[in-house]
Amino acid sequence: MKKWILLLTGVLLVSIIAAGCSSGNNSGTVNNASPSADNTQNGGAKVNISLWVLNTGWEWLPEAVRDFEQTNPNISVEVTKYEVDPIKEALKVAASSKTLPDMWFTWGGSLGSFYAENGMTMDLTQVAADHKWSEIYNQTAIDMSTYDGKVSGIPIHLNVLGMWYPKNVYQKLNLQAPATFAEFESQLQTLKDNNITPLAFGSKGGWHTMRLTEQLLEHFAGPELHDKLNSLDASWNDPAVVKAFGKIKEYTDKGYFPMGYSSLDPSEAESLIYQEAAGIINEGTWFDGTIITNGFNPKDFDVFKFPNDQTPSRASVFAEMFQINAETEAAKQEAAIKFGEYLTSTDVINKYVEDYGSPAALEFNISDTTPHLKPLLDSAGDGGFLITDQALPQEVAQKLFEAQDKVALDEWTPQQAAEGMDKAVTAYKSKQK
Amino acid sequence: MTTRTLKPWLFLMPALVIYLTVIFVPSIYTFFLSFFRWNGVTPDKEFVGLGNYTDLIMNDTVFARALRNNLLWTIGSLTLIMGFGLILALMLNKKLKGRIVFRGIFYFPYVLSGIIVATGWTWIYNPTQGFVNKALELLGLESWKHAWLAEPKTALYAVFVAALWQGIGQPMVLFLAGLQTIPQDPYEAAYIDGAKPHQSFWYITLPLLRETFVIVIATTLIASMKVYDIIYGMTGGGPAESTQVLSSWMYNQTFKFANIGTGSAISFFLVMISMIVIIPYVYYTTKKSHV
Repeated sequence: MKKWILLLTGVLLVSIIAAGCSSGNNSGTVNNASPSADNTQNGGAKVNISLWVLNTGWEWLPEAVRDFEQTNPNISVEVTKYEVDPIKEALKVAASSKTLPDMWFTWGGSLGSFYAENGMTMDLTQVAADHKWSEIYNQTAIDMSTYDGKVSGIPIHLNVLGMWYPKNVYQKLNLQAPATFAEFESQLQTLKDNNITPLAFGSKGGWHTMRLTEQLLEHFAGPELHDKLNSLDASWNDPAVVKAFGKIKEYTDKGYFPMGYSSLDPSEAESLIYQEAAGIINEGTWFDGTIITNGFNPKDFDVFKFPNDQTPSRASVFAEMFQINAETEAAKQEAAIKFGEYLTSTDVINKYVEDYGSPAALEFNISDTTPHLKPLLDSAGDGGFLITDQALPQEVAQKLFEAQDKVALDEWTPQQAAEGMDKAVTAYKSKQK
Repeated sequence: MTTRTLKPWLFLMPALVIYLTVIFVPSIYTFFLSFFRWNGVTPDKEFVGLGNYTDLIMNDTVFARALRNNLLWTIGSLTLIMGFGLILALMLNKKLKGRIVFRGIFYFPYVLSGIIVATGWTWIYNPTQGFVNKALELLGLESWKHAWLAEPKTALYAVFVAALWQGIGQPMVLFLAGLQTIPQDPYEAAYIDGAKPHQSFWYITLPLLRETFVIVIATTLIASMKVYDIIYGMTGGGPAESTQVLSSWMYNQTFKFANIGTGSAISFFLVMISMIVIIPYVYYTTKKSHV
């Protein structure tokens, strides 16, 4: 008997480990549904919809929800907020347990495609046609919310990336926004020679370096091959990929990045830009808001499009959207569409334009406090490519982050990095068969 | 079956039922899933037998690194965190002025969230503006300055120092509780017999702390096996996946890549490793103690 108890104790201890390994849920729930609303719902007249969104960047949402509920007394909205990684985790868990909310925020590309391709999102193609979305939203944003020909999300944001710099630094060194790749590289050296860290990159998580890698790929591979690499239709073991990784290595060796950048948090790297200790940071249309939040003036900064020497010169872009649960009842779907269209409407954008981010809508007022929003959106006019971590399957994107780090740390040569990527792509494709 | 035999089972039943439904059954289900290729949502799961396990062992270089890191972390926890916890407990068990305050100071980091500790220590290690490199600069040791979290050779150890700072409070408190249950009589008798302090420690304190050691080793081992938040917060598993541990790699496989079968297989590697250590340990120590 004693042996059995001992064995049971051991098994239970081990079970604690297994249970402990499941990650916590860093969410905060804001229930905007008023008590009276619940009472009405009990009467059967009210529709209550649940929405999961990000915590950061959505500070304007509670007021918008209140306004919506006042004008639509038959609909109440329950908002749950998550940080970036927790919302991805919570959605995956909810998807596998069939407990997805009625609508949720997601990024485009391989992040949003998971739900659409597995039949968990409402097909909004007919709604988009009936409501003339092509006249309301940027077509690129609609395209990025479309999977297998079906519109699978209401576009919220269309983000465009660019190279931001403090005007003071450029003025002191008599520099202008570079027009060619050679000029860009020459400026990096000029910045370095003047004891300014050329590229304020913090690559913990891989994103900052990835944003440079993808433009280097665009430069060396050209748009056609770059697109094929992202869609896994071309081998990553290609001279253009080797050259792109070679540049990462060269810039690291020349000290163009901050010391220890591969484990530096992006926010730590960002502080170098504010202190004018660094020259350039690769951020997007949201960065005016970030500058303001950190107590600085966006007018002290400017932005240029990465000079990748290609025609057309494409910018890195990505969309964000609301997806609607395919399984939820029709009344809730209808309410969710109404609410999603309201949140992405010109009136709401104009009311909160300073905090809204980069709208996917075509019509909105540009605020003085976000002076770089329009130039960045215009810079995508020549075309854009989907940002790499959304274009690639997640496990291939993770391998790219690893390859970038290994090249910088001298663990891999650029050739080995290209081969490592190719191997990861092959392994991924073999699993999909 | 007599009432005497049934009674303890009746008392155990509510907790046992909850335990079985919330922990044991899901664990078995996880084990079951580890034999399938599944993205978590499609109705069809593809049976791959031991494919996920062999794939991890044969093809996944990050898994091998994570396994090695977990073992290093466990060894470090069982020696350094437990060792320093015991030393602090012995010091703070003496009649020192302000010992209550010191107990609070050393225990305080343990109540902080892992992410808060990670954020603070990330700034401490910041290569250009952090305390560590600034202090080295002030001391004239500029050549020692280092990107602590960015070098694969130092990153894991740098994170472990932060974990040590945070985790030392828990074994300290448990050892303190254990020390306070030891009566003074054996020490007095040993003193009269001419025993030196280190002899009293080896022959009285340590044997009488055996039951505390069972708890401390078990909890330390569990904590080291499921370490996640501080690594996630400080390095995110990087640079170049060099600080991945089994929990973080399991998270990536399950929630980022939607490879539920692979994630489940990693979790069962964790369980198996833990079983290999914990079951013989609990069996051995229970035979010799009153627990």
